[in-house]
Amino acid sequence: MRRIFLKGLAATTAVALSLGAGAMPSVAETAAEFYKGKKVKFIVPYKPGGGYDEYARLLAPSLEKQTGARVEIVNMPGSGGMKGANEIFNSPADGLTIGIINGSAMVTNELAGIKGADYRVADYNFLGRVVADQRVLAVSTKSGIETYDDMLKSDKPILLGATGLGGSTYVDAVVIGQIMGNNQKVIHGFNSSSDVRQALLRGDIQGMWGSYGSARKGVQSGDFRIVTHSAKEGSKNTPDIPSVFEFAAKTADPAKSEEILEAWDALSAVGRPVAAPPGVPEDRIEFLQAAFSSAMEAPEFVDKAKKAKREVEYIDGKAMAALAKKATQLTPEIKDLFVAAIRGEI
Amino acid sequence: MTIIEGMTSGFFQAISLGVLPYLMTGAVFGLVIGVIPGLSGHFAMAMAVTFLYSMEPGAGIAFMLGAHSTVAQGGGLTAILFSTPGTGQNAATLLDGPPMRDRGEAGKAVGAAMAACFLGATFGALALALLIPVLRDVVLFFGPPEIFVLAFLALTFVAVLGKEDMTRSLIAALGGLMLALIGVDNVTNTERFTMGSDNLADGLSLVPVILGLFAVAEMFELGIRGGALAKNMPDALSGRETQKQIFQGIGTAFRHWWLVMRCSAIGTVMGLIPGLGSAPAAFVAYGHAKQTSKSKETFGKGNVEGVIGSEAANDAVEGGALASTIAFGIPGSSSMAILLSGLFILGLETGPQMLNDHVDIVFIMIFTIIIGNLIGTIVGMFLVNPLSRATSIRASFMVPVLLVIIVTGAYASDRSLFDIGIALFFGVVGYLMKVLNYSRAALLIGFVLGFAVEKNLYLALLIDGPLFFLEPIPLGLSLVTLGFLLINVVGYVRDRRRSRV
Repeated sequence: MRRIFLKGLAATTAVALSLGAGAMPSVAETAAEFYKGKKVKFIVPYKPGGGYDEYARLLAPSLEKQTGARVEIVNMPGSGGMKGANEIFNSPADGLTIGIINGSAMVTNELAGIKGADYRVADYNFLGRVVADQRVLAVSTKSGIETYDDMLKSDKPILLGATGLGGSTYVDAVVIGQIMGNNQKVIHGFNSSSDVRQALLRGDIQGMWGSYGSARKGVQSGDFRIVTHSAKEGSKNTPDIPSVFEFAAKTADPAKSEEILEAWDALSAVGRPVAAPPGVPEDRIEFLQAAFSSAMEAPEFVDKAKKAKREVEYIDGKAMAALAKKATQLTPEIKDLFVAAIRGEI
Repeated sequence: MTIIEGMTSGFFQAISLGVLPYLMTGAVFGLVIGVIPGLSGHFAMAMAVTFLYSMEPGAGIAFMLGAHSTVAQGGGLTAILFSTPGTGQNAATLLDGPPMRDRGEAGKAVGAAMAACFLGATFGALALALLIPVLRDVVLFFGPPEIFVLAFLALTFVAVLGKEDMTRSLIAALGGLMLALIGVDNVTNTERFTMGSDNLADGLSLVPVILGLFAVAEMFELGIRGGALAKNMPDALSGRETQKQIFQGIGTAFRHWWLVMRCSAIGTVMGLIPGLGSAPAAFVAYGHAKQTSKSKETFGKGNVEGVIGSEAANDAVEGGALASTIAFGIPGSSSMAILLSGLFILGLETGPQMLNDHVDIVFIMIFTIIIGNLIGTIVGMFLVNPLSRATSIRASFMVPVLLVIIVTGAYASDRSLFDIGIALFFGVVGYLMKVLNYSRAALLIGFVLGFAVEKNLYLALLIDGPLFFLEPIPLGLSLVTLGFLLINVVGYVRDRRRSRV
């Protein structure tokens, strides 16, 4: 009570002073003062318990420490992550709503003009990226496929599993298949990437594109083998496995193949960013960016993420904005290819 | 580590002082979450995960899985006492639980449900233990063709459930199948029956539909009828009488041990199949209990066998559902996905590594399920008395209170206001179905299985071609399905002839 009174008194004095001073500029509130004791909504566009949720919950305590605000995690699942992304994009531009988004999927949905994508990825205010999802092509060790070359030379169609039409497992498979021109058939319609992995283990399909994180377990247990991946150079996860870029050189039109792969790689580089809506005052964004950067490096976050086997590939807000721009501004020809892939027209 | 060593070590770890208190806390937490309508095992696990960072592996597993394993038990309590499914998988308990309550046998129904849960969970956990050496093969048994045929087999149980009025039941089941079509189809990316609404793009969620069909509908009926929730019971049962009934109920469940075993087996197998979930398991077990019962005609009117069958299957699902998670680190449901990330946090790796080197961890899980359900049964018994008093409170007070809880539950799972609308809409649908004598169970079975049937049919056609059902395993399962259907049709026709004469 007394504190409130004192605060009120201080505020009144400040107002009186500034009024009295007349010509002097009013005392601007710094961003740190603004966030102190406020509630920040952190939107997670998926149900509790998934990877996105876990990153958010791991980050929240460090973010609270850095901002002085209370961080409340709000799960808002729906439309494959679009509901949450819309919510962040269209929330009041006061800097009190932030959230993590499925960057790559949001970019592809936006490009293809999927209904319900009421956001523009390049217009978000990015605080930075938590992790990029390196894409890998995993095959079953029982499939007899040893290398990506085996797969490219196969006379019989290689069956690749995927989730829904337009999902990343599907888009990866058809786009890369289009570039390489190999004999393959994409079996899509699995309910989740878990179901695709089960089909891979059973031998119903021979391979699947997916994130490194989801293939890691199967590789360790000897069930899966990664034959190629999306990182152009220096992947710490897959140092001895040739990148798909190396195979682009052997295609009929290497320059064009490389161009498509660059665009595709940019897409996976968007990864999982943390974003605020457009229009938030610049000083608040800078404050949040600094807080996010410190939170990502705080030992308590790094240790916990390591313990939970969650990788971290931080880049700052500015670099993230550049990535988002690169991923959304495609040449018409490449854009058409991706849109066709997302819509299942290839 | 041999299996025997792992079992001994797992058991002693589970009852050690470093683990047991967490197990008890988890079990009670899960029970309470289960009692609250709309909050499910998924929710209990997600809450539990946040506490794991500072825990030892054994304690963490016991806490998390303990919370998950008692949820269905708590949900059964709510189903019987308040005609409101505490979780989705308790929907089948609503068919015979509340009618028993109305007869003044609430205690007996709850006792039987609790004991059946415990026995079912134990069965599922032991089945998992026995399957450890062949776990990987068992999990890989189920591919799209097999799942399609099995889901279809489960669908034919509508014929058993709705025997009394086949036409109406088939209409209801077809209605359920149609409801399953709503949303963006992920095979063709086309919107189906969304009427242009983004809210329907993901299809209807199970929780608000179940809450609407059963709980909200019940509230409408109660509001219109007036009186107390327990129909013919103006006064609450005395504490002593309830206690006596609970023990009677427990005795009844044990006396029906053969039924418990069969329904638990159904639950375990359905748990093994990825993507089917536990709600259909309970209905299939209910159908089986009805089909094999000597007094089929009293099902739906308060037959304790109906309660025992569905509750046993409910908790037996757990053991089966764990199999693919442990064997391959592939989660068969959203709860198992949370369990998997919890295990990562605790520093544990599933898959062959766990089966070979850390089989004691698997046994901690197994004993957690068994002990957790035992604790749930004991604590649940103490909850019955205060809760059952509420059933004789007059409707004008109970209806608003329960409606608020139900609506909150519908909102809570996805934080979606639209889901409240869905719950209320299906409340009206459920009420009309009840009044016009259409089977809500049949509708729900169609709804929960429609998705699995359609999706797996598509995948089976893509992978094995149009004649996929001629492969040996699907062929065997198809013949079983056809045989089952034939028996039912013949029985149905014979009954009708007899009733005409």
